[in-house]
Amino acid sequence: MTPTQKGYAPNLTVFKKSLKAASVETSIENLISLLKRRQIKNSRPCAMATAELLRIVVARDRWTDLGKLIAHIQDVGRRLVEAQPRELAVGNIVRRVLGMIRDEGNEDRKNEGSDSGSATGSPQLEFSIPAPTTTKRPPSSSLRFASTDGVHFTEDRPTTRPPLMTSHTSYAVANNVPVQQSMFNLLSATGSPNLTPSGANSPHGDSTPHPFALSEKMINSTKDLRAEVVNGIEEILDELEQVDDQIAAYALEHIHSNEVILTHSSSVTVYKFLLKAADKRKFTVIIAESYPNDHEETHLAVMGKMKDPESEEEDKETYLKSLQAAGITVILVTDASIFAIMSRVNKVILATHAVIANGGLVAAAGARIIARAAKAHRTPVIVLSGVYKLSPEHPFEFESLIEYGDPGSIVGYEDGTLVEKMEVDNPLYDYVPPDLVDLYITNLGSHAPSYLYRIVADHYKPEDVNFNNPELLF
Amino acid sequence: MPSTDSPSAVETSQPEVAAPLAQTQPNGKGKQPEGAQQSSANTEKSKSNSNGKPAGNAQETSSTKKLTPAELKKKAKEEKAARRAQTVAAKEAESAPAAPELSPAGPSTVPQPAGGTSGSQQRGDGQKGSRTQQRTGGPVGNSRNLPFRGSQKVAAATAAPVVPKKEDKTVEFFRHLYRQRTTSIADASKEVHPAVLALGLQMGNYTICGSCARLVAMLQAFKSVIEAYTTPPGNSLTRHLTSHVLSPQIDYLASCRPISISMGNAIRWLKLEISKVDVDTPEAEAKKDLCGAIDVFLQERVTYADKLIAKKAAGKIKDGDVIMTYAKSSVVQRTLLRAFSKGKRFKVIVVDSRPLHEGKHLAAALVNLGMDVQYCLLNGLVHVIQNVTKVLLGAHAMMSNGRLFARVGTAIVAMEANEADKPVIVLCETIKFTERVALDSIVHNEIAPADELVTPGGPLTNWEDMKKLQICNMMYDVTPAEYLHMIVTESGNVPPTAVPVLHRMGNESG
Amino acid sequence: MDSVGNVPPKTLTGTFDIVETYHRILEDDPEITMPVAAIEALVELLAQTDAVTVYETLDLIQTQSAFLKMNIPNSIPLQAGTELFQQYILSCLKPSKTSSGNFEAVRQHLVSNGRLFVHRAKNARDMIARHGQNYIRDGNIVLTHGGSRVVGALLRKAADVKRAGGNVRFKVIYVVKDQRSIECRTVIDSLRAKGIPVAEIDEGTVAYAMRKVDMVIVGAEGVVENGGIISRLGTFQIAQLAMAAKKPFYVAVETHKFVREFILSQDDMESDIDQKIIRFEPDYVEDPTPKTPIRNAVDFTPPKYIAALITENGPNVVAAVSEQLIFLYSV
Repeated sequence: MTPTQKGYAPNLTVFKKSLKAASVETSIENLISLLKRRQIKNSRPCAMATAELLRIVVARDRWTDLGKLIAHIQDVGRRLVEAQPRELAVGNIVRRVLGMIRDEGNEDRKNEGSDSGSATGSPQLEFSIPAPTTTKRPPSSSLRFASTDGVHFTEDRPTTRPPLMTSHTSYAVANNVPVQQSMFNLLSATGSPNLTPSGANSPHGDSTPHPFALSEKMINSTKDLRAEVVNGIEEILDELEQVDDQIAAYALEHIHSNEVILTHSSSVTVYKFLLKAADKRKFTVIIAESYPNDHEETHLAVMGKMKDPESEEEDKETYLKSLQAAGITVILVTDASIFAIMSRVNKVILATHAVIANGGLVAAAGARIIARAAKAHRTPVIVLSGVYKLSPEHPFEFESLIEYGDPGSIVGYEDGTLVEKMEVDNPLYDYVPPDLVDLYITNLGSHAPSYLYRIVADHYKPEDVNFNNPELLF
Repeated sequence: MPSTDSPSAVETSQPEVAAPLAQTQPNGKGKQPEGAQQSSANTEKSKSNSNGKPAGNAQETSSTKKLTPAELKKKAKEEKAARRAQTVAAKEAESAPAAPELSPAGPSTVPQPAGGTSGSQQRGDGQKGSRTQQRTGGPVGNSRNLPFRGSQKVAAATAAPVVPKKEDKTVEFFRHLYRQRTTSIADASKEVHPAVLALGLQMGNYTICGSCARLVAMLQAFKSVIEAYTTPPGNSLTRHLTSHVLSPQIDYLASCRPISISMGNAIRWLKLEISKVDVDTPEAEAKKDLCGAIDVFLQERVTYADKLIAKKAAGKIKDGDVIMTYAKSSVVQRTLLRAFSKGKRFKVIVVDSRPLHEGKHLAAALVNLGMDVQYCLLNGLVHVIQNVTKVLLGAHAMMSNGRLFARVGTAIVAMEANEADKPVIVLCETIKFTERVALDSIVHNEIAPADELVTPGGPLTNWEDMKKLQICNMMYDVTPAEYLHMIVTESGNVPPTAVPVLHRMGNESG
Repeated sequence: MDSVGNVPPKTLTGTFDIVETYHRILEDDPEITMPVAAIEALVELLAQTDAVTVYETLDLIQTQSAFLKMNIPNSIPLQAGTELFQQYILSCLKPSKTSSGNFEAVRQHLVSNGRLFVHRAKNARDMIARHGQNYIRDGNIVLTHGGSRVVGALLRKAADVKRAGGNVRFKVIYVVKDQRSIECRTVIDSLRAKGIPVAEIDEGTVAYAMRKVDMVIVGAEGVVENGGIISRLGTFQIAQLAMAAKKPFYVAVETHKFVREFILSQDDMESDIDQKIIRFEPDYVEDPTPKTPIRNAVDFTPPKYIAALITENGPNVVAAVSEQLIFLYSV
């Protein structure tokens, strides 16, 4: 029996291939229709497709200055988000690319400034120490950057280039200044564009320039910048490739021997996390089947047929190692059994579709009752999520994030006309409020839900948060 | 149905005797160990009956190539059953005076003696012709999503110690709950009355399902037992009936499917009644009195109780209400129908779950009456709960510490309702109250065969071959008392804290 | 107390009374908040002093701030302003990329831009309103209390959206207390003028009304380090009732009200703000109202009751307060 070809790999791969030949505009249209028709779905494929597309846009489009590039990316991003507003990862990637372009502009400008500046370095340096995120690179990177004016566009990227927001680094360094200044906005001479429509006279410092102001300078170095931005996007793509393995690296910190772990549906992230822990420890995993939308995949997963998303071959199915082969005892239960079995569960591990800045998350339907039942039993709930799923958008109505599936998978044709006579609901996602989550594990480390706002702020520039929502841009 | 392909691959390693089994065996049975040969033959038979489509074919085609060992065994068993039925019938004939009065009372559960030959081929389903039809006729059988809860898997599970290479597929936390179920009358002791024999099988395969339905059917069958009873010389009915006649019946029923709380309460009551019979009462009169008492008991504790509960609960339903319920409870259904027939206009949200999909039957019944029904599975629960005004739940039992023992998933609905601040109302006859307490859903529960969760041809086919994979299919869960706001009983509306009080009044005072 | 008030005369020209200035500023402009009034008072002080050295000036600001605090019963809100002012000067004096470190320039900037700061503070209110109106969805019922100007602005903004052709229809339940019915009246009238139906209830009705409510939005006088708020007396009980009914409790507040003060409970707050609200009387008293005007009495709402702070920078979790303050003081 061959599993149904439901995976995203073929369509994503096809899309990637098509990028080589098609024009930029065709590619944009192509992705929009793929998103609309849900042929590319789920956070990671959507994020990857978006990043791939933006790389092409940056590399091939004619742009002369960063301001125009930002405007163009915003425009493309808006169209993509509109095509599938519930795939928050699309918007997240667009925002990160926008932020990166802005950083390139700022850093370029700063470099020139620091030629004449004092040896004490930029203020960013001071703030890089309290930077709250785990930076795998030494904090001196910004120092190195500050002292390598102009020569950073070399081939040897990792050592001479300033860190972009990849899995290793974040905006923390660049972003602490706005945070710290926001209370000073009231008194500051520069002020934020929000608060001072009339420019105040400024006795010191200079204000953040509008991107368009950069244009003249940019013309000379467009080529270098193009390479820089493309490199940055490639780092995002690298992050997307590695994110599950990076999260899995924390597994042994959280799973001890003989634990009983409850999870649901079929998430590669959770799966890899468990596999990693199984290298060293023996434990039991209870999997709720998440009927009716993901049970087929869940059943395949417990039967050792979890598809490996990294596999490039389209024709051949490659599977991840099964949990059982790794020594884990797997117990499949129905969704209804969750409350009953929770008294034996040590930890609940959930995957997400998207994470929201308030610490809440959107996950496969059923996640909320699992989290609630865990709360009722005082069982800790751990959520695994790559930072690319962290969205800065603040939903004012959580129901708007929920996508509904085909009622036919609940009441099928074999029940005759029953489905027409009554209202049948089949939500694909649940919103899980932050008070039901005890811990988030991202590729940057483990965080309390109350701290997520910071991780989110580190990854997106405030001016990009609402790029797709002009009425919130002010 | 991959009844021919997948198992045969495994069969090669199996001894010769087992090989022919594969022809009629549905999937998943390939690895049946030789030690379990006897039981595998039995289960095979029950499977062919219960597993829908192939059963019909197998029955038909087997007439030509009939002589597989399994078929032979089946035949032998039928003959044995027939013989037993005849002796029982003979006994019945002896106690003829009582029979005419009683047979109209329970025609559906009293098997014809002839059932031993033709009926037992369908494992006691003979009386329920229509059901048999559903089961064996392909498309009709499939339209019912209710799976057949045969206990085929138990054989494989318990056989594990015999053959070391066979993995124990039981879930560790629930290991105390797995027990081998009697799935054919051949295993029954010869003291078991035919009515009870048939009933046991019907309970075992969930033809008769639901706490109250099982209770009623059991007492009706016991009436037949009492009617057929003659006190042996030198004994008195009071001393003999319970220990020598009733006990084997009960043991047999329990072996088919664990006795429900309400059945336990009724059995205790019946034993007390029997013990109260005056030794000097003539046997015929004593039997008549007992049967009369059973009728009154059923009338009071079930029929009247249900009516009263439905009346009270329907009174709580107001125009514009949105009532949520989970799975299917007969008394909840009755309540909704009553409220609707009284002109109340309200909406019902039926929440349901795999594998039984009992709620779908309730939803269909309500829709057909023209009621406004919304249907979702547990995955949609949190999305609809905000609009709900009341939650009505049925019960399997009410525990003495105020907790509700009901269809698995009920606790989730009550939890979310409690979170959303919606009143949760349990409809429960006092016969379902028990002095037992429960803190979790694991100590006391019932484990149904895991194969019920396997969709035919789906990814879980042959799941037993997957090492270290277990599938747990529990039937009940325990809802904490703090999630419940009101319990509607025939003795009044009470808070969960009053359960032990009502239990003492209703079930313990004789 | 004398030592605090004993300002070295040579640094002050004329008779400058910071307490009186503070009150005057608050009275002159009813739209001004307490922290901003404190800042304005300090700006005036800066304009009038002839202190020349950095040290002298800083010392003067510090003593005058302390003096002001001592003389105002509920000093926590204004403390936010005075401390922000001091920290700002300190940060500017540090030579860095964004600052020349020139004290005279800083001083000049502060003295000449007093009106700008007020203007910005009011702008912040407008920003909060723009962020906050998104919380109000069609058909919602919002409960609020007190005369918070931010909340008033927010609700009016949401009402304007409705007028602009959007279809946000919402209703307001306003908890009105006799002692401050005047400040509530302004807000209620302005909402009704915009066609928003308002139900006025007294404080005893809140628990009863809560089931109909979709969200609670209140203002605050100060936000302390743990994210808890100091707000008009009665806020705490509304927050508790909202949590019990699982309704979100939002606080609309400007970031300049964040104050580096850690308050744990009502008792803890009383050590800073002596309100004498509860008075035990052995005998019958004609007028049981406390001597301190109850009009200005406040209570403390711990952070666990607060779903989000709506600031001019957008929605914030309570954990962000501590972070902002840490950065403010790490200068």
